[in-house]
Amino acid sequence: MNVPRETNLHMTSGKGVVYRASWLAWLISLFSGVGGLILKVVLLSLLNGLVGWTIIVLFTQDRLAWALGTAAVLAVFDFIYLRPNKLLPAKFILPGSVLLIAYLIVPIFFTINTAFQKYSTGHVLTKSEAITTNIEQNVVQGEKFFMMTPARDASGALVLVLVDDTSGQTYLGRANGLEEIDPSSVQVDEFGDVLPPAGLTALVGDELFGADAELAAFEVPLDGGGVIRTEGISGAYESEPGFEYDEARDMLIATDTGVEYSDNGRGSYVNPSGDELVVGWREYVGFENFTAVITNPLVRQPFLRAFVWTISFAASTVLISFAIGLFLAKLLDKPKFRLKKMYRSLLVVPYAIPGFLSLLVFKGLLNDDYGLINKLLPFDAPWLFDPWWARLSVILVSVWLTTPYFLLVCMGALQAIPAELVEAARVDGATRWQVFKKVTLPLLLVVVTPLLIASFAYNFNNFNNVFLLTGGGPSSDDQSVAGATDILISYTYKLAFEAGKGQDYGLASAISIYIFFIVAAMSASGFLRSKALENMK
Amino acid sequence: MSDPTRRKGDDWWRHTILWIAVVLAVFPPLYVVTAAFNGDQTLSGTSLIPRSFTLENFKGLFVQKEGGAEVFFVRWFRASVIIAVLNAFFTVFIGALSAYAFSRFRFRGRRMGMLFLLLIQMFPGLLNLVAIYLIVLRTGEVIPALGLNKLTALLLVYLSGAMSVNLWLMKGFFDSIPSELDESARVDGATPAQIFWGVILPLAVPVLSVVGMFAFVGTLNEFITASVLLETVDNFTLPLGLQSYISTNFEENWGSFAAGVLIAQIPAIIGFIFVQKYIISGLTQGSVKG
Repeated sequence: MNVPRETNLHMTSGKGVVYRASWLAWLISLFSGVGGLILKVVLLSLLNGLVGWTIIVLFTQDRLAWALGTAAVLAVFDFIYLRPNKLLPAKFILPGSVLLIAYLIVPIFFTINTAFQKYSTGHVLTKSEAITTNIEQNVVQGEKFFMMTPARDASGALVLVLVDDTSGQTYLGRANGLEEIDPSSVQVDEFGDVLPPAGLTALVGDELFGADAELAAFEVPLDGGGVIRTEGISGAYESEPGFEYDEARDMLIATDTGVEYSDNGRGSYVNPSGDELVVGWREYVGFENFTAVITNPLVRQPFLRAFVWTISFAASTVLISFAIGLFLAKLLDKPKFRLKKMYRSLLVVPYAIPGFLSLLVFKGLLNDDYGLINKLLPFDAPWLFDPWWARLSVILVSVWLTTPYFLLVCMGALQAIPAELVEAARVDGATRWQVFKKVTLPLLLVVVTPLLIASFAYNFNNFNNVFLLTGGGPSSDDQSVAGATDILISYTYKLAFEAGKGQDYGLASAISIYIFFIVAAMSASGFLRSKALENMK
Repeated sequence: MSDPTRRKGDDWWRHTILWIAVVLAVFPPLYVVTAAFNGDQTLSGTSLIPRSFTLENFKGLFVQKEGGAEVFFVRWFRASVIIAVLNAFFTVFIGALSAYAFSRFRFRGRRMGMLFLLLIQMFPGLLNLVAIYLIVLRTGEVIPALGLNKLTALLLVYLSGAMSVNLWLMKGFFDSIPSELDESARVDGATPAQIFWGVILPLAVPVLSVVGMFAFVGTLNEFITASVLLETVDNFTLPLGLQSYISTNFEENWGSFAAGVLIAQIPAIIGFIFVQKYIISGLTQGSVKG
């Protein structure tokens, strides 16, 4: 998950072995033999203990399939590790694989699966959960009202003493149900208050006000599926579920009006006049999320805007950084140049500081009202609050962060260019500029092109540079989730995680997959140009 | 290509441009240092040259002000260091185990496995955050310690890449360790596990240090996964905590933020000093091989 600022695939070839004993090497070698065996036994027992406990928890939560699956995985583990000198590669690969599968491969499959679902605000539950929620949340008031006195029984549990407003029938309402009692056991005093029967103590004064929240949440379940709820501290009413579920026809029927809501196949119950119930469920909708990017103007517009901006942002960041880095490297590429080392170490300072911290600092520096940059400049620029200024800021800051990388790369690459070639061109009468254009630059590009592509791919998904500086803002005219500086990945992030304008996991996943293909294509082209693949025997 | 006919004085324009570049490069970090020691703690009060000197900003990170908000800086710092050390350790361990298998054993699916692990890395981690969030949420319903807002869950998510990210680097290094060494050990009766611990790993200390260092510093600076999985301010890591200073009260907390940024650099610097010897020897003494 934690990838360094630029890809390090090309940086180290992994050559070079040092045959020198150090305390660390000595410490490691202690695990060869008995030490390692003890470690193995301890780790394996710990694993069995923890996973065994997990299986028990899963059983108690009635997640039978999960429990059996976990047990099977544990069995495979024990099988592999307890057989001496068998299945050796598996012994070494297993620990990494388990984590890889759990938090990398499963998420990838999950993302792919989600991309084919309607899975957004109002569509997060399963269908059966959605049915229950609809029935429970939409209650309509029934016909019965009660005079009520809250009381406690000997054990301290809340009991409602209820007198039916119209019939005068008396009840005791408990958390587990309603019980009819003889009206003569309940008296009404001169103020109209109901006095509880013997064995119960009425709540009065501070005690009554203290139980305010408890009373409001208290429900007496009725046989028909309705409940009795309190209203204030001296009344109660019967409420009935707003819907009835007709399992045979898969319909929710409104209790009061009789309107039928049927499954529309897209994760919602809808009535004949087209009104959807608010609570829906997640449902497979095929390629809808993928095609929405093309067909639905509400999605297409922000997507295209973000896409164009992503390309411009990544391309200009890489090209400008490379140009400046090369220029500075060329300036420093002179034998016996004074202060060369000092310049070099000061120029790479931005690379040595964690990127996210620099970004937060720039956010302060570029602040419109209080920022230092506006104080130093003769004019006030809306660095982060005007769409075009914000875009400029994002590119400038990214260039600041990326240039040292290309400075280092170019300095190395320039040194690697054989001096004879340059000299030969000079002897033939080429000007400095011609030498640079015809000899130095082409040779340099051979080395640097894969890095340029890698850097482009990296910046294509450079979430931090956008999100920490502008948060993707300022918001655009069309009021969509994508702001003026949102690149695809930050747009996706907002779609999935920022609830402000409604979350849409399905659409976010679909866009994720588009991004994957774009990045994979770029990475592949960069990788094929580098030599890394040749290493694989 | 030096031109002997040119005099030294002609370099002045190079120096001018380079000085401009240097100023642009170091000015923001320098600004953080001055802001941290500036007597005026607000953003609007900062300037490049501090008007007064104070340590109040640093004190404010550790001591709760009278009537002020609770201070969590030490907790964030501790959480970050612990999780970074653990992640570095397990990343090295898991990575070395896998690299050893791919370097020393020949088994079915080895080539495919390596290519697959390479491809996996091209799926940017951020895209998985929705799924990781939901997985951690569900896991937390069974095992609370691995649920949301828990550092253990964050650690496991970080470790998911331990096998793939450094595999090629480590395998390359392991490949360069002569196989005669483990063969002679095997003749002496050593098991593969003993060869791993006793022969390969001690010789691979340089690459282990480099990988551990990358993981350590990478964790200290990781922001976005942590921001999705950690929910309450008392459980934050350092990056999240520092961000929270300026996300709510941008203007007022600028001094504390700057001071926190300076202190946040310390673990990475210490970590670097600690393994510096190995990194340098790993890079410079490669030619000793023989």
